[in-house]
Amino acid sequence: MYAGTNKGGTEAIVAAERLVLDRRARLDSGLTADAVVESFPLAIDRVMGEGGLWDPDTAAAAFRQANGDLSEAVHLIRAHRSTLPRVAFSDPIDPREMELLRRVVSTQRRPDGPILLGETVDYTARILHDGPDLPLPVVEERDGPPPEHPADGPFRRYRDYLADRGVLVDRSGAEDEEPFDIQMVAPRLPAHRSAWLSAMAQADTGALITIWYQSVLGPDGYAAEAVTLGEVRHGRLPVRVRHPHTGEPVEIGRVRVSETEAVAHLGELRGEDPTTYDVGYAMAFGHNERKVIAAASLDVSLVRFKGSETGRRLEQIVLHTTDGLAASGFLEHLKLPHYVTFQSGLDAAAAARAEARAELDRLLADVTGAAAEPVAEPGPDPVAEPVEGATA
Amino acid sequence: MTLQSQAGQPAALAALLPADPHEGRPVVMDEQAKREVRRGVLAGVCVPGYIVPFGSREMPVARGWGSGGLQVTLAIGGPEDSVKVIDQGDEEGVNAVNLRRLIVGTLGSRATADTADASIVQSRHRVPEEYLGEDQVLVLQVPQSEPLRQVEKSVYECKRRHAEGDYAKMWVALYERLALTGVMGTGTGHPVMVHGRYLMAPSPIPRWDIPRLHRSDHLTILCHGRDKKVYAVPPHTAVDPLTFDDVPFEVEHIEGVACAKCGTAESFMVETRTGEFICSDVQFCLKVRAGLADLDRHDRLVPRHYYPDPARRVRSFVPAVGTRRVPGPAGITAPGEDWSLKVEDLGKVYPGSRGSSEVVAAREVSFDVAPAEALGVIGESGSGKSTVMRCIIGDELGATGAVRIGAVEEGRANLLELSPPARRRLRTHVLSVVHQDPALGLDLGVSAGGNIADALIAAGWRSYHDIRRRAAELLDRVEVPLGRMDDVVGQFSGGMRQRVQIAKALATDPQVLLLDEPTTGLDASVAAGVLDLLRELLAERELAVVVVSHDFSVIDALTDRAVVMRQGRIVEAGLTDQLFADPHHPYTQQLVAAARS
Repeated sequence: MYAGTNKGGTEAIVAAERLVLDRRARLDSGLTADAVVESFPLAIDRVMGEGGLWDPDTAAAAFRQANGDLSEAVHLIRAHRSTLPRVAFSDPIDPREMELLRRVVSTQRRPDGPILLGETVDYTARILHDGPDLPLPVVEERDGPPPEHPADGPFRRYRDYLADRGVLVDRSGAEDEEPFDIQMVAPRLPAHRSAWLSAMAQADTGALITIWYQSVLGPDGYAAEAVTLGEVRHGRLPVRVRHPHTGEPVEIGRVRVSETEAVAHLGELRGEDPTTYDVGYAMAFGHNERKVIAAASLDVSLVRFKGSETGRRLEQIVLHTTDGLAASGFLEHLKLPHYVTFQSGLDAAAAARAEARAELDRLLADVTGAAAEPVAEPGPDPVAEPVEGATA
Repeated sequence: MTLQSQAGQPAALAALLPADPHEGRPVVMDEQAKREVRRGVLAGVCVPGYIVPFGSREMPVARGWGSGGLQVTLAIGGPEDSVKVIDQGDEEGVNAVNLRRLIVGTLGSRATADTADASIVQSRHRVPEEYLGEDQVLVLQVPQSEPLRQVEKSVYECKRRHAEGDYAKMWVALYERLALTGVMGTGTGHPVMVHGRYLMAPSPIPRWDIPRLHRSDHLTILCHGRDKKVYAVPPHTAVDPLTFDDVPFEVEHIEGVACAKCGTAESFMVETRTGEFICSDVQFCLKVRAGLADLDRHDRLVPRHYYPDPARRVRSFVPAVGTRRVPGPAGITAPGEDWSLKVEDLGKVYPGSRGSSEVVAAREVSFDVAPAEALGVIGESGSGKSTVMRCIIGDELGATGAVRIGAVEEGRANLLELSPPARRRLRTHVLSVVHQDPALGLDLGVSAGGNIADALIAAGWRSYHDIRRRAAELLDRVEVPLGRMDDVVGQFSGGMRQRVQIAKALATDPQVLLLDEPTTGLDASVAAGVLDLLRELLAERELAVVVVSHDFSVIDALTDRAVVMRQGRIVEAGLTDQLFADPHHPYTQQLVAAARS
């Protein structure tokens, strides 16, 4: 009887999987999902941002299962997301409703609304240290009672401030089209703005930073360097869906997001009005400031260069090369066997080598005069004979 | 937590939900996603070889580990299927093992190793040796779906080339390898034409497998998950490896080599560490050994007509006489008229915007050119002469007026009203340009012969030897040493590049030739040589020629009549001799004075 396959491959794979599971079994008792969320909030936020899914517990489970490998954790989240049907679409979110955890405005000394640093290490000396004390002494301790916290109040988006002053360029299109859902549909060029904004929201953070930085120091100048950050925000936003019976919007929860508005002074490019400014925008799940800053700067460039050769190149880069899962997946695949490809290539190389040798022989024959035969075959016109198979 | 199941639902809620159709199996894709994949597959089947973008989902396997093939199999498969999964022809490759576990575990289908028993074969890099029938589907995992990627990096350009069926660049790549090495030198994934329309990347299957896709009884679906693309070869569809009419396509086959295990000499084999060859399709090899393989059927699939024959390679076998080339009729004029090219009231305005005021680049420009006549358009930079030329070529859109060519619909068609693809097609037969900058007319990374091949292939030439002969003839005519025919043009001097560009422009015997500052930028002595050559070439041909230049001596050397342009308008026209000898307009007088100084 003809037998199926040998099972060597399967055994090895199961054994490799077992090694990972055994290690985790030893550690899991000491590291709960809650502890992961508490201990590594920024890693969890990055996983949710690149994973494109808001669920801290699931992200923590993925982070733990991935042994702290962020790309792997993002992969787990994305694969999990593929199992979830879309049951509803929320109403559009208005970032003006944000419950602020952090807001930095670098364009103004005294902006509308609060400046809130929140939990950050931006202003801390990066010194390895232990314990709860500040790593450096505070030199100018303020005398007297601590200042009163300003009351929570509404803030204004920087773009609204620019619009009120009449210096915001009008980018409003004729119609308010449905957003392009990069998760559900393959990107197409030329792309809609909503397509690149959602592509960048779940792009690999490092990829976006690199593209932005390449445009500053690299050989291709895509992004405008003279971009200022209108605002960087981190906070909670309500998500509302329409009630299936009443049709009324119902808040079903809150998500934490990061947002940036990047301001560019126009006039550098042909056709731009130098009295105006443009605002690039980006939003991503979780506290992901670096990502949204890079993305908002790229958004300005994508809008400004739209339709030009530069714009087409940048669109291709942003929509086709920034997904971390695609990039690292393709890299991982190099580890798979390729011996059919390699064998076929060897065959081609051998043919080329045989030809080179034959050529050499022919040259030698010419030199020695041993064979003075013409290269062309005499007789009936050989081209008239059909070349079998080649033109099927 | 990472896999959705309904087991954890509260009892009350669970009671409201329908029975779990997955019977407790993990869900990797929701039904919306499966429908999305099936829509893409159907579109692909309807337009064979066309690359269909689809909403590819992330899978539990890495992008690059067959996430595309997996989605297709999960979307078309069910519990009643028997699924065979192979990597490089082997069931036991890591990739195959992983994917099989996932497919069987989520579909609840049966796994099989026997090709004849499988309803779906998902494969990486191989088509099984055994026959696949009409009730079987082959799903190929694809690492790069864009066949043009190796010659064209721009997604926009690739889209345009597919839309217009413009695959000359791919042919030029084959031409270059043949000219350089004598063989096409493609390993796996040799590009194929599907149904004579779309160029397709067959995934990195060896050349041995390509004939198995041609007019096959089974359906082949190819899916690239990472790039979100799916395409298909429906049953009985023609799949032809890209090759020249007189260059045989070759599969991997070594005479006298047989599988060390089963003894067959006619399967795709891989070399082992010890130097033996064994079948890459492990199951086929096992079945041959067990005496269970349908060898008759396999025999009919063996691509013997593509076995390598060194005696038929391009360097050994040069036909003494090529296909007889009948040059198209020269000097076609519009019926009852004496012109080949007519420009009427041509106008072009660049609208103003912030930082740039409105520019009238051309207004009321009219002239016509007869066969075997050369017309000069002279003016300083900014006079509008280059705009006029770009409007005629089609590089500049949105012009007003009319441009007619006698050979295009007997001169009735206004070229300005044709679509950009139609205008690009005119460039292959009817209208040629020599640019001031050779980089605009040539690919500097391709050989001199390859650049001429580009023009010939675009015009439909498919014989390698005819192309070689014609390229050699043209290069010889423009005095480029034949020993440099296979050198990359980027290595050439400016004058030599310009000669190659001229040869390329004349390759397909166009009706109209436009020369844009053909000698500007060259040293005086080199320019004089190129001018002499152009004069000879024009005298030999029935071409209608337009020469655009700022230099009266160039116009004087090449043309019979000339028009003088200033600020977008023609200010003076006449016979070139007379304009040069007796200029009337003060501006013409300045130009003549400049040329004489």
